[in-house]
Amino acid sequence: MPIYEQSYRRYEARGPLRTVRFWPITREALRLILSRRAFLGLLLVGWGQFLVRVVQVYAVTRFPQMGNVLPVDGRMFGQFLGIQTIFTLFISIFGGAGLIANDLRTGAILVYLSRPLTRRDYVLGKLGVLLALNLSVTLVPALLLYLIALALAPEQFATWKLAWIGPAVVLHSLVLSLVMSLLSLAISSLSRSARVAGLGFFGFVFGLEIVRGVLRAVYDRPEAALVSIQGDLQSLGNTLFGITDRAFHLPWAYPAAVLAVVSLGCLAVLRARVRAVEIVR
Amino acid sequence: MAAPSPLVEFRDLTVSYGPLVALSGVSGAFPPGPTGLLGPNGAGKTTLLKTLLGFLKPDSGDIVAFGLDPRTRPLEVRRRIGYMPEVDCHIPGMTAAAFVAFAGELSGMPRDEAISRAHEVLYYVGLGEARYRTVDTYSTGMKQRAKLAQALVHDPDLLLLDEPTNGLDPQGREEMLALIKDISRRRAMSLILCSHLLRDVEEVCDGVIVFNQGKVAARGPIAALTGPRRSVYDVRVKGDAAAFLTDLKDLGCEWRESEDGYRVFMADGTGPEVLFQTARAAGVQVRYLRPGAESLEDVFLRALGHEVEA
Repeated sequence: MPIYEQSYRRYEARGPLRTVRFWPITREALRLILSRRAFLGLLLVGWGQFLVRVVQVYAVTRFPQMGNVLPVDGRMFGQFLGIQTIFTLFISIFGGAGLIANDLRTGAILVYLSRPLTRRDYVLGKLGVLLALNLSVTLVPALLLYLIALALAPEQFATWKLAWIGPAVVLHSLVLSLVMSLLSLAISSLSRSARVAGLGFFGFVFGLEIVRGVLRAVYDRPEAALVSIQGDLQSLGNTLFGITDRAFHLPWAYPAAVLAVVSLGCLAVLRARVRAVEIVR
Repeated sequence: MAAPSPLVEFRDLTVSYGPLVALSGVSGAFPPGPTGLLGPNGAGKTTLLKTLLGFLKPDSGDIVAFGLDPRTRPLEVRRRIGYMPEVDCHIPGMTAAAFVAFAGELSGMPRDEAISRAHEVLYYVGLGEARYRTVDTYSTGMKQRAKLAQALVHDPDLLLLDEPTNGLDPQGREEMLALIKDISRRRAMSLILCSHLLRDVEEVCDGVIVFNQGKVAARGPIAALTGPRRSVYDVRVKGDAAAFLTDLKDLGCEWRESEDGYRVFMADGTGPEVLFQTARAAGVQVRYLRPGAESLEDVFLRALGHEVEA
């Protein structure tokens, strides 16, 4: 057979259908996003607070009197994750806005959905990207910080009294990352332009935050926090980590219910928008 | 010898987009080998492909591919199909090699094998030298080839090609058709070529299903549809052509205007002598007469129910 004819051979080794099908989608999207230096820079900046907190933990264990000014306890982890929320916003904008919007613009959605994949696999694959990125600036540094605190001050942290911090860190990081990721994906699916989707996400999250600020200024009631995603997350975090702040002081079930409704709404949007066929009625 | 069982069969299939009925009670089958799906834009060709892929649920009727129902087992159906969509499709920022390997992996191939196959297939479609460029930077012709490569990478049993020559210049079109012919003839892969271009289908396919307004207008082997079922002549006349054509119509012949004259479809059992007799009676001179076979275009136009004057 001439060499030029050997460039196509039949492929006979067809195996059974995979049970985990979303992983290649997550992996390739992560590879593309992480190949952008600016994005790597954002992730690195996202770890800046971790370094500051490590110094704080170290300083307080060596000079306990500093603990009066910079307490190292459950509240520190709540504040840490509260600040990290800002980075999840930027990650969701710069990493998440194009995840579905670009596929809709370039027709790549057909490449995915004409394969042995379900729409759920596709959404899981894309969600996995944002979850991995968001957890890398929330769960990973927060848990690492907790482990460092355990190592440096076992007499303080390795007690049953503070054993709740670890699970609280995991729970809050997961809720925070999941809500931001779902919201970013849903908004991404509403546009064919990553830029428009990014601006939409920014406008939605910060717009609601402005509304919260206005309502708070007018009525001076903690319920104002319920209208904002950040407010809900902050309120939930404060409850989890025992932080007292009148502006967010609500029974945990209220913000949890709002975040659950927002998440379900995002899933409904994704269900409607992630289709191989666009039906214009 | 018994005819091979069809890869895809559809019966009384009705598919609609809300109030718009795209396919209305159509029936047919795609046997192994290359088959054309022909029809004007909006005829329902792409709708049929999307129903076959399980993207659309039929309102009524049945569709079966490889003995499987795409409504209940879409993943098993899709893994045996390679789909080259009509619209542009690529993943921004990805090289062709990564894109095609990724497509293979999504089809269930192990990563290493998908990468190896991607390189082979890209060479095969003529993108070997350009495989490390991002698909965004490709010309239209190269993007079409990349689309073909991603449809081929997992070596499907059936290739669905939706308007594969869209946007190509004449040379690119010839190359794409040559590639498709090679896939079909030498690599023995079954394919459905969906096109509104008659020549594309005529060049590649053995059989054809003609769609019009959501219904099957004609179907069968191209040879049978275009065979010498009746005599066809290309005619140029000088004089009162209208009278000549009216007389022909009265004799049961059909005609339509061609580039520089008329294409006349003779009534059964009649020959060219009728043309000369009619011309003499109408007082026109026959300046050109050439026998021809009914082309797929004639079948297509007749199936669409217009253009041909009878």
